Amino acid sequence: METVIDVKNITKSFRVYYDKGSQLKEKMLFWKRNRYEERWVLKGISFQIKKGEAVGLIGHNGCGKSTTLKLLSRIIYPNNGTIEMKGRVSSLIELGAGFHPDMSGRENIYTNAAIFGLTKKEIDERIDDIISFSELEEFIDNPVRTYSSGMYMRLAFSVAINVDADILLIDEILAVGDANFQAKCFNRLREIKKSGTTIVIVSHSLGQIEQICDRSIWIDDGKIKMEGTPREVHAEYLGFMGKKREEIAEKERKRKENNKKNDKEENSNVSITESNEIGKEKELAFQEPKNQDEKLKKRWGNGYAKIIDIAMCTSDGEKRTVFQTGSDVDIVIKFTVKNIIKDAVFGIAIYNSKGIHCYGTNTKIDKLDEFELKKDGQVIVHLRHLNLLPEVYTLDLAIECEIGLPVDYYREAYRFEMYSMYEEVGTVRIDHTWELSER
Amino acid sequence: MKALKELYAYRQMIAGLVKKDLRGRYKGSVLGFLWTFINPLLQLLVYTMVFSVIMKNGIEKYYIYLFVALIPWIFFSTSITSGCSSIIQSKEMVKKIYFPREVLPIATVTSGFINMLYCFIVIFAVLLVARIGFNVYAILCLPIIMLVEYLLALGFTLIFSALTVYFRDLEYILGIITMAWMYLTPVLYSIDMVPEELKNILLMNPMSPIIIAYRDILYYRQVPQLETLASAFAVGIVSCVLGYLIFHKLQKNFAEEL
Repeated sequence: METVIDVKNITKSFRVYYDKGSQLKEKMLFWKRNRYEERWVLKGISFQIKKGEAVGLIGHNGCGKSTTLKLLSRIIYPNNGTIEMKGRVSSLIELGAGFHPDMSGRENIYTNAAIFGLTKKEIDERIDDIISFSELEEFIDNPVRTYSSGMYMRLAFSVAINVDADILLIDEILAVGDANFQAKCFNRLREIKKSGTTIVIVSHSLGQIEQICDRSIWIDDGKIKMEGTPREVHAEYLGFMGKKREEIAEKERKRKENNKKNDKEENSNVSITESNEIGKEKELAFQEPKNQDEKLKKRWGNGYAKIIDIAMCTSDGEKRTVFQTGSDVDIVIKFTVKNIIKDAVFGIAIYNSKGIHCYGTNTKIDKLDEFELKKDGQVIVHLRHLNLLPEVYTLDLAIECEIGLPVDYYREAYRFEMYSMYEEVGTVRIDHTWELSER
Repeated sequence: MKALKELYAYRQMIAGLVKKDLRGRYKGSVLGFLWTFINPLLQLLVYTMVFSVIMKNGIEKYYIYLFVALIPWIFFSTSITSGCSSIIQSKEMVKKIYFPREVLPIATVTSGFINMLYCFIVIFAVLLVARIGFNVYAILCLPIIMLVEYLLALGFTLIFSALTVYFRDLEYILGIITMAWMYLTPVLYSIDMVPEELKNILLMNPMSPIIIAYRDILYYRQVPQLETLASAFAVGIVSCVLGYLIFHKLQKNFAEEL
């Protein structure tokens, strides 16, 4: 197969000016002061794409994937390195950029297609396809400014996708129109691909990339981190993002906690002992028992025993608040005992953000003997294959006596999040396989 | 060569832009398209008043003498002044989609050129009415000189439009430059009136041979000197190539500058 896109070691930097003047006066007066920072967005990227291949570029925000696409579309040029492309390029980067609001849809099709390098004759041949694809037959002779944003995008997409390009560059715009139109765009893309057009897609929707692309390129911090089949790359990517998300969540929580602490100190002048503070920062997901919580009816009980620490861990014992759907998770509950309890029962309950009770159980339901609590200790609940789907969940914990008297009932004691590589919907994953048979 | 081929592929876009410009230019004004003719005629009136009624110059039928040079000059100067902002005006497009950027200045110059062609209808009408008449052989040279002027105007517009992106003040400075340029070109006067020492400087002005050629063809009804034509032609080609090269070099950072 012929290589149609050949990118060799490209680098790109943007100048971020602190204060930019482009007038003569400013240039003359401040030419020394024109300070700027050189920000390297791409730090040496090379790849080749063969004819008819569809490639997805993935990566977190600001990793350089959209810049790469802009370089491919020749809107901007690299500082170093070369890009070779063969054939007509159509880009679906900024849809409808050349539209004139006062002109009719039909006139705009002509001007817009001309921007893609089509001649009048070529446009005449395609105009019916374009209009019917856009489903705007009734409105095609109205000025574009009267269109809704959905109609606008549909028209723009129809033009861009009907120019018969050899290379099609797409940036995050498969979110065009309603579900029906999206499905149509998808099918059209598949057709185009089949007919030998090379496609490069930048998207955050890994599912879309998996459906169309043969290959994914994961760009991280201006470099290619991984390249391969979408399945492989996406699994790695999601794992990486899961970890990253946790770091961010951790930071966020730290920030909030600090704010709260500051507020508290300012408002009520309650002095908190040093050791207490450190403990707090360490266990962020765990909300220290506070008077406030008790007032808010988040926590109640007779206080014979108290939960002092909660943690959710991966099976390797790494403490986390973000887990992948289907992974094994341990809940570790530490408690102290004040008065001996002869018939203690431990319970957990998981709620999602809509307040739906997703799961709940306790040691009594699980037919375990009552525990006798004499000394401080810990309980671990091993959750095998935690199949909750991506969402934010809260965990309730309880220690009760067998007769149902709450010893320490703690609502929303812990928060955690789930992520997944698949796009199933609902609350939980149900293990399944498909089987088709014909009679 | 590849660049020319690409520009040819984008001819529909150029045509569309030219049409939009011609149609949109006087949109909303009462006289509309007539302004294409009224504007130069009014300028002609003013200059004729000043330079033949107030300051007598002794040139026979001065208004025609002036008119045949003024129309080509207006084409050249408006190409530069309106062409220099052509990229900035289409900023949204330049930042978002790829197309050969040369298309924008080419479209501006071309629409100016078409405007000049319309004005030539008036020129021919005036020549008829004033009983100056035509020399067929001379008229045959007219398309050549027009083409040369087009190339020259395009060359300068390419350079200035690219420079204006980086240096916005140029847009305003160019107003003064073109005015000075007009007085340094034998539009209002004859090259023979110029003192010998200055004559050489004036002839270095690339527009001088072109204006002289127009006047030879239309006013004096004679085939321009081969020398004049050749030098004009050479200058036209050189400016166009140079303009393209400079533009090509500068256009790489357009999207970031805008």
